[in-house]
Amino acid sequence: MATDRHSHTEVSHEHPSAPSAGEVVEDLVAATGAGVTFRRVAYILGFLAVLGVVGVIGKAVTVGGDTTKWGYVAAVMAFLLTAGGGAPMVAIAPALAKANWVRPASRIAAMFSLIGIVTSLLLIPLLVLLPSLVVEETRRRSVWFEAPVYSPHVWGMMALVGLTVTGLALFYASALPDFAAMRDHSTGWRQRWGEKLSRGWRGTDVQWRSLRMRIGMFGTLYFLLLVFTHFLISTDFAMSMVPGWRDAIFPMYHSVSSLQAGIASVTLALWVARRYGGLERYLHLDQFWALGKLLFAFSLLWFYFFFSAFIVFWYGRANADIAFLDLLIRGPMVYGFATAFVLCFFAPWWLLIWNRLRVSVNGPAAVAVVVLFGLLVDRVRLYVPSWSVPGDRIHDSYLTDIPATIWPDAFDILTIIGAVSAAVLLMLLASRAVPAVSIWEVQQMNLLSRPVQFLRTHGVLVAKPD
Amino acid sequence: MSSKSVLGLFQEPEPAADAMDALAAVGFERGTFDVLTGTPYPEGAFGEHVPQHRLFRFPAFGAIIGFMVALLFTAATQIAYPVVSGGKPILSLFAMLIIMYELTMLSAVIATVVGIIFESRLPNLKPGAYDPRITEGWIGVVISCDDERVRDAELALKSSGALEIKHA
Repeated sequence: MATDRHSHTEVSHEHPSAPSAGEVVEDLVAATGAGVTFRRVAYILGFLAVLGVVGVIGKAVTVGGDTTKWGYVAAVMAFLLTAGGGAPMVAIAPALAKANWVRPASRIAAMFSLIGIVTSLLLIPLLVLLPSLVVEETRRRSVWFEAPVYSPHVWGMMALVGLTVTGLALFYASALPDFAAMRDHSTGWRQRWGEKLSRGWRGTDVQWRSLRMRIGMFGTLYFLLLVFTHFLISTDFAMSMVPGWRDAIFPMYHSVSSLQAGIASVTLALWVARRYGGLERYLHLDQFWALGKLLFAFSLLWFYFFFSAFIVFWYGRANADIAFLDLLIRGPMVYGFATAFVLCFFAPWWLLIWNRLRVSVNGPAAVAVVVLFGLLVDRVRLYVPSWSVPGDRIHDSYLTDIPATIWPDAFDILTIIGAVSAAVLLMLLASRAVPAVSIWEVQQMNLLSRPVQFLRTHGVLVAKPD
Repeated sequence: MSSKSVLGLFQEPEPAADAMDALAAVGFERGTFDVLTGTPYPEGAFGEHVPQHRLFRFPAFGAIIGFMVALLFTAATQIAYPVVSGGKPILSLFAMLIIMYELTMLSAVIATVVGIIFESRLPNLKPGAYDPRITEGWIGVVISCDDERVRDAELALKSSGALEIKHA
């Protein structure tokens, strides 16, 4: 068996010895310090974020209210909702299932809720441009039936803001003990912030019990709002913009691909934190291995949900079905669709199926980059053609003239780069105020788990108290 | 008679659990002393008093209020401005469901935030004795008692192996 490449001994791995509680605090508080490289990266991202603002303003000045030219802004808004909105679920779902591996990853996952701020800001110009439900006394098909004509504008924004606030509440609630650690062990502005934000946290039994409760409650509420927000944004900002596009699976496809993007985002962020944030001691193979499995599963689900919707249009063959296929699959975005198909499903499937790649630190991170780029292209291929439908055709029964491919202009590119940069910048700045790996969760993991020798292999003995 | 906060510091959990028992043994009521840790130990690990929390009531109450407000809001506006289209009912139930779901969720979130402020006892304006080493893995057993009983508390903590005693 020793020569078997996939012997149990080889696949299993010896877990590194756990650092003491004092070392955990010292290491993770020290990791919040900003070095020269960090400052440089932050300045560059800040500059790119400003360029993003220039991109949106330039777009408004050059094309004004022509909705057909705003598809890329809608696409990047949807991408940030997809990637940033789904990521906190990585902190929530495995924790509710008492998975031990997720503890060092949960802070970074929760930090992604900050991206909701950028998403909400990007939604503002789109709300201004989104057509009313009734134009020239004709009401377009939507989920709003007879509701007031600006319902998508009001409730779409409220849903997104609600999701962002819940995500931030989850992030803050779970970070309270670490703000106390910053108060006790850091210096300068971080200590002052820690003192203010910890709000007198001492770690009493009542406080810990309340912390567990609030993480559970905010996690549940976040999931309920996430699916709902995807439902509203995907139906109001994509599906209802295309006459004749009726698809009950699309909102779910949007939500499930958000979970896929969330897993990919967290995997990539963990890799960056491990590689450049000095956190090798706390982010191990376990986190990447587990996330790789989830990413593999959700890549297969991407295809399942896509195909479940596609087959109805393919066999339906009504005029509206053919128009849908012509617009979003084989028409102006045929290359976009092919790219998204390969990067969101085919490539992750054939890459993550290999044990050597999946059971590694770099493999899942590389696939995460592929998936994230694929989902950006996927959002472009969905939202750009949807917004390219002229305003006077939006109320038709189905689309008779398929708009030509719309390529991004300079302002679109600036907006995409700027929005993504602003999102990354927010995450980086947050990692200066509170450790990117949760101190208390690492300490809890060390408290409840022990690496053990089990016969001739290694394992971890985990206590899972009720 | 003034009240004092006495903190015993331990490096290991076992003597801290013994200290909790010792405090109970010398007559301090459970609920007047507590354990401070930098990481959540399993409930009851130190034999501590487990008070009943009421946090779950807040989101439930918020959700009910939000649902009622949304129902009233959507139904009242449609009845006040009736639009009959295609012979369909005045109340457009499926559009109402979206608003009712959203307001129910938002009210539940807001009520949960309010609930946490109550239930977490935060901000803690009278924090009592504390030591920063607790976030480094040390364990504190803290008790609030009258001046005349401070000596009893100190003896119980020391006899259990407290490495240091602090007052506030």
